[in-house]
Amino acid sequence: MTALTTRLPRMVKPAALHTLLLYVASFAVALTLAGALVTLTGKSMSETAYALYQGSLEGGGSIGLSIDEATPLLLVALGAIVCARAGIFNIGQEGQLLMGAMAGAVVGLFMPGPGWMVMVGSLLGAALGGALWAGIPAVMYYWRGVNVVIGTLLMVFVAAQLAMYVVTQENLLQEDGEAGARSPQSNLLAEGVMLPRVGEYPDLNVTSGVFVVLAATVAIVLLLRHSTWGFRLRMLGHNPAAARRSGVRATVLGGGALLISGAFAGMAGGIMLSGTIGRFQPGMADNVGWEGLLVALVARNHPVAAIPVALFFGGLRAGGGFLASTGVPRYLVSVVTALLVMAAVFPAAYAELSKLRKRNKPVVVEG
Amino acid sequence: MSTRPSTDNGDTATAGTAATAAPAPAVELTGITKRFGTVVACDDVRLSVQRGEIHGLLGQNGAGKSTLMKILTGLVRPDSGQIMIDGGEVSISDPLVAAGLGISMVHQHFSLIGRMRVWENVTLGERGHVDRASARRLVTEVGDRYGLAVDPDRAVEDLTTGERQRVELIKCLRRDPDLLILDEPTSVLTLKESHELFSVLRRVTKEENKTVILISHKLDEILHATDQVTIMRSGAVVARRRTADTDVRELAREMVGREVSRLTAGSAVGALDALVEDIGAAKEAKEEDEEREVRLRVTDAHATGRDRRPLLRGLSLTVHAGEILGLAGVEGNGQAALGDLLSSLLELDKGTVEVCGKAVRAGRPGAMHAAGVGVVPEDRHVSGCVLDMSLAENLAMADLGEVARGSFLSPRRLRSRAERLISEFDIAAPGPDIQMRRLSGGNQQKVVLARELAADPKVLVVAQPTRGLDVGAIEYMTERIQKAAESGIAVLLISTELEEILTLAHRIAVIHRGAIVGEMTRAEVDVERLGMMMGGQAA
Repeated sequence: MTALTTRLPRMVKPAALHTLLLYVASFAVALTLAGALVTLTGKSMSETAYALYQGSLEGGGSIGLSIDEATPLLLVALGAIVCARAGIFNIGQEGQLLMGAMAGAVVGLFMPGPGWMVMVGSLLGAALGGALWAGIPAVMYYWRGVNVVIGTLLMVFVAAQLAMYVVTQENLLQEDGEAGARSPQSNLLAEGVMLPRVGEYPDLNVTSGVFVVLAATVAIVLLLRHSTWGFRLRMLGHNPAAARRSGVRATVLGGGALLISGAFAGMAGGIMLSGTIGRFQPGMADNVGWEGLLVALVARNHPVAAIPVALFFGGLRAGGGFLASTGVPRYLVSVVTALLVMAAVFPAAYAELSKLRKRNKPVVVEG
Repeated sequence: MSTRPSTDNGDTATAGTAATAAPAPAVELTGITKRFGTVVACDDVRLSVQRGEIHGLLGQNGAGKSTLMKILTGLVRPDSGQIMIDGGEVSISDPLVAAGLGISMVHQHFSLIGRMRVWENVTLGERGHVDRASARRLVTEVGDRYGLAVDPDRAVEDLTTGERQRVELIKCLRRDPDLLILDEPTSVLTLKESHELFSVLRRVTKEENKTVILISHKLDEILHATDQVTIMRSGAVVARRRTADTDVRELAREMVGREVSRLTAGSAVGALDALVEDIGAAKEAKEEDEEREVRLRVTDAHATGRDRRPLLRGLSLTVHAGEILGLAGVEGNGQAALGDLLSSLLELDKGTVEVCGKAVRAGRPGAMHAAGVGVVPEDRHVSGCVLDMSLAENLAMADLGEVARGSFLSPRRLRSRAERLISEFDIAAPGPDIQMRRLSGGNQQKVVLARELAADPKVLVVAQPTRGLDVGAIEYMTERIQKAAESGIAVLLISTELEEILTLAHRIAVIHRGAIVGEMTRAEVDVERLGMMMGGQAA
């Protein structure tokens, strides 16, 4: 956690110490609660902790799994950060991710051509799918004034319904096979369409999607900090009136940020599809959209800080999966990981809240 | 008299110490100190107000006047010091205690609900059954008693600002307070309304032996309306005078802490007379105005706000190169909308804006700026700057071309441009990377002005340029605005301070209810006539 807090941007010393203490305290509380729960259900806390460690950090294979889990989280977080900088809150990544994966699956299954071309096409299709899904609330907002938070959120539920529909219709995406023996999922993508893996099991091996994500991170950092686009985006986020005066068109720039955020979430879905899962399943989003938002929150909307945070959350997902396979009940795994997620999120949320309170406090110094 | 705690009969208890002939003062504050962090708002303040007098509390913005009165009304707790009411020590822990002691305050910004009727506003906060008939009678009675005529059945939003203030006064006076505090009451009034207000205050003190504290930074009204005056500077009391024994120059000197020129005294501290006398001097200055090129022409502008309220109703004006057009008017008559229009923030329902003869599309982001209109807006925090970005970034804003290479910013150019403007405009800042939020109000204003002037504007709009600034900053702004006009820029000065307009403007237009109701050159200024136009009367 130390590495994380020192990476957080522009922290002055006393504030950094304060933040560190806050993290230590909230993790202590979370671990105590988790321990109590595990002990109550008759399991051993030390075994549980060891299983979490085994699943996320022990050996190359586990580390690779953690990185695989972190990859889409980071991508979702990057999109959320771009949006937040523009002062817009897209919280519909869970749906945008699912729609991205669906679009990626359609391209991956039906586009003709050599494998690598289909693979690239599938990823681009995924980005486009996510962007389109985010585009709907963008249009609703800039055309009719529908709140973005509500618009993006509700589209998540529409996405879930749509995903379930396409995999239960044989003339759409449902897998081939005997009637009655088909699952609600798509066919497997062809071997050549899948993102190649780097490294060999059981040593460290990761999907090559991770390099796409790292490149995206570098690009976002550079653009936000040094481009005129990033400058205008920040201006829009901090003060829309001043931005408009200076010629920033909120529809273009803010709507664009929303589309970018959707594209990133969609791409995350595409990478999950062709990097690990291999086929479209309506449950494949598995909270990655939501947790990506938390990554952005804990990283305080800073793309560089999002990297270690995404790794931490990814490790937690990998460790939680392993823990479930050791016989600890699934619900207990969920509760334990949720407690740890809350411990990671609390200090950032607390800081946001106190910032808000400070800003709302009336200024009485004026004589 | 109203019911209140036992302080009334405290007189006998304190008689031993205050055994002199004079009765105990109605209010006596001793050793009041209040800090906000490192800022000392009140430093060992002593204030003594006799019963039945109008006591002026004079000082610049930030001198500590408002804080002192907030202590007296229970809104702020002092760090140390003693409060005596009629000779008895009291502890005013919250506004209810203050009300119980008979202390009542009319704040600078009204707390009225526009949609509700006058009598409803007056009874607001009352518990139990609201009796419409008796409430209406109350409004009429209090109104008759003090000469505050207002129809109890009208909705507050339909009233003029002067009438609204009467409602505020009725709200206070109906509780029969012993001490009435008014915070900058004339800032929203026309001259005539101000004079009416002062005669009401005179009646309240003379006939009912109530006590009034009048907070102001305008010398004229302090001289006009008060019996005693206490002058504050940077949180401390620097002088106490009998109003009859002092004059404008002395008051100005004490308030500012040094000698000020007559013109600065005019715009900074509100000495109107000095300005009107200067008319002769101004007369020969600008005679050839008519031939100059028209830089800004607004024709028949109509606009409505988000709540469908009309903001502009057929406003037309022109500003020529090299002239300063002063737009006078009581606050809330469309000045903000005009400022927004020229900042590309407002769309027009009807009408046109032309800059240098070319039509500019209203409301299109950045269009006004691109056409050459620089704006120092009324509230710099709203559209003038971005508080969370750096000083250097705030100096760039719309003019990214100068600091960018292609679509990327050059940190070196951003920095060198900032350093140049910081020294050229005398901005006090530790460096170009400091967050805008951490600069003082005066320096934030300089940053906005520097950026707008750096873009070589054809037209410069300055709205309430000196509001909330100290005298040094006011002198600076005044000088810069004059220089801008001398260099040929057409300047539109929007201000509710008549003094500021008389100091700077070559030509004066009066705005009322979203339209220009009259115009005159600086040489033909007649304060009475201006005042009537500002109040909406044909003149």
